[in-house]
Amino acid sequence: MLSIKNLHASVEGKEILKGINLEIKAGEVHAIMGPNGSGKSTLSQVLAGNEAFEVTEGEITLNGENLLELETEERAREGIFLAFQYPVEIPGVSNLQFLRTAVNAMRQHKGQDEMNAAEFMKLAKEISKQVDLDPSFLKRGVNEGFSGGEKKRNEILQALLLQPKLAILDETDSGLDIDALKVVSDGVNALRAEDRAILMVTHYQRLLNHIVPDYVHVLAGGKIIKSGGRELALELEERGYGWLGIKDEEPADSTAN
Amino acid sequence: MKPAPTLSTAFLHPAGQSLPEPLLALRKQRGTALVDMPLPTRKTENWKYSSKYLKLTDDMAISLPAEGKTGSSLAVPGYKVAFLNGVMMPEACEYPDLDGISIQSFSDLSDEDASDLADRLDSTLDNKAVQMARLNSARFEDGLLIRLKPDAVLDQPLFIVHEVTAEASGSAFPRIFVDAGRHSQITLVEEYISSGSAPVMVNTVTEFNVAEGANITSIRLNMEGENVQHIGSTGVVQQRSSRFESHTVGFGGPLRRHDLQVRLEGEGAECKLNGVVVTQGKQHYDNHTTIEHVAAHCNSEETYRNIAADQSHAVFNGRIHIHQDAQKSNADMNNKNLLLSNGAEIDTKPELEIYADDVKCAHGATIGQLDETSLFYLVSRGIGRREANVLLTMAFINELVEQIPVEAVRETVQGRLNHFFEQTFQEA
Ligand SMILES: Nc1ncnc2c1ncn2[C@@H]1O[C@H](COP(=O)(O)OP(=O)(O)OP(=O)(O)O)[C@@H](O)[C@H]1O
Ligand SMILES: [Mg+2]
Repeated sequence: MLSIKNLHASVEGKEILKGINLEIKAGEVHAIMGPNGSGKSTLSQVLAGNEAFEVTEGEITLNGENLLELETEERAREGIFLAFQYPVEIPGVSNLQFLRTAVNAMRQHKGQDEMNAAEFMKLAKEISKQVDLDPSFLKRGVNEGFSGGEKKRNEILQALLLQPKLAILDETDSGLDIDALKVVSDGVNALRAEDRAILMVTHYQRLLNHIVPDYVHVLAGGKIIKSGGRELALELEERGYGWLGIKDEEPADSTAN
Repeated sequence: MKPAPTLSTAFLHPAGQSLPEPLLALRKQRGTALVDMPLPTRKTENWKYSSKYLKLTDDMAISLPAEGKTGSSLAVPGYKVAFLNGVMMPEACEYPDLDGISIQSFSDLSDEDASDLADRLDSTLDNKAVQMARLNSARFEDGLLIRLKPDAVLDQPLFIVHEVTAEASGSAFPRIFVDAGRHSQITLVEEYISSGSAPVMVNTVTEFNVAEGANITSIRLNMEGENVQHIGSTGVVQQRSSRFESHTVGFGGPLRRHDLQVRLEGEGAECKLNGVVVTQGKQHYDNHTTIEHVAAHCNSEETYRNIAADQSHAVFNGRIHIHQDAQKSNADMNNKNLLLSNGAEIDTKPELEIYADDVKCAHGATIGQLDETSLFYLVSRGIGRREANVLLTMAFINELVEQIPVEAVRETVQGRLNHFFEQTFQEA
């Protein structure tokens, strides 16, 4: 489904990604771990098409199609979804209006009729319940004044509404209490499907107890330096990153936001 | 040195003579005072940013004919008054006989009422600060007098449509005087629209005399065409414990000027002034507001937002004057601006004059652009760039639009703003 070859990317002239190779097939769940500042969010943002990051070398294809040729909104319509590490607050745009506009943009792209306000309200309320967000959050500004955990649940709500092909979850587990972690994991597991792939960035093995990955990769210094099965995550939890020959700046656990 | 330009004498000949004698006399006297009136220039402090947009040619001096059909663009429930080219059109007005409330054309006033009105016209405005309003006083051909007896409450909004038909060049001088008795209440919606394409001027004055405990809501929508230079002045004088709330929504044009002057003369009076302005292309809009805190214990709250696209130009000048005896005044003024293009210009200026020592006065002004991170977030959900831009731009003013207290007006305004921004972001 997704194929990344020798991807280099920089921001403000500084190279962050230094030759990433990654193959993700439909139905798979991949986890990416790695120290702070290693480039995990940069990779996520590049996949979603954030123009603040410049791709200087390499290629990315989604089902054979050159992703780098597509605008952000086109990528989203092709099925790329990024749950942001830091979801953006947009006062003045109601969450409901935002969600409905997004869903209808997708439907229009697929040649489906737009959903009217009443139909959409019903759907949005159902999915709110699924991620344990009170429907009153639909009336508030997008993420406006949401707590860290509420923002993350709102990201999963969007993923469930938009039903992407590839869901990239950038630390969607950070800052969640145990109950919220369960809710979010259930949401992610509900997304798992034969024709869908999930790429999760995380610092915590605990998430991987709920969402069992097929592969775990370690990103450090802008490169994937090790890949393995889920047991790699357990090993990282025990031993940190030091044994992989990279500087273990701080234990992963101190980075909760 | 070139002599300063003065108002052409062509502008000093009012046409209609159907007003009661006292008003004709007043008009004549005001006209005489305008001989050799200097026109605002770049050096005129309160017209500094806007004088270059003022283009009065002699063919605009004649009054536009008060004939033809009027059509309100606001199809909403409520009472209606229609002005065509500055003259009230009785056949297009709809309001019942109301207890304690009189709604009358100036032309229909008795000599006694007209004489009383003549004494009070212009009394709410500082005519030195609103030079161009004086031209209205020299030229108005008709007007609307609304009188509310003590405790009278108008149960529905009163919609006043000011339409100009610009088949040929000319001017219109609509005039309104509202005399709100003690503890009376009224919601007034003024809408300015136009048809035709000849260059015309609309010079309008609306005055509110607000007695103790009265509660006034004034909504003003400026929707005229690209051929209309609009110069509007609103004067408000408030007595003890009265409340005045205004919502201005303005779409740009070749010249759009609105002066809003509020005098808080009685203790405990309160005003809330909201304004939203949007400009695109080469449009202009200039809001000048003045709040005079004359008495103690008064509150004023002012929030204006400008959004300027393309090569357009928006101006906000907010003056707050707290007089020496106005202790315990509470004044809050906020102006935020959004520039949608590098070619657009926004000028904002707070002017604070505070002579009392025990007051709270807060003010803030910002100029910014659309936030790239927010835009990325929206498009990353598949929302098109144009739609995302419109959403974010609307978000900048939604808070103010949502405060418009008449639902039908609020929805109409939302629709028009949306349409305006869809045009603005057409190319993007
Ligand atoms: N907009 C930017 N301008 C400058 N530097 C940036 C920008 N965005 C990211 N960087 C830098 O790129 C590097 C990688 O950042 P990135 O956010 O991808 O790390 P990360 O692996 O997601 O870290 P964390 O675990 O803390 O989330 C960091 O050194 C960061 O400071
Ligand atoms: Mg990160």
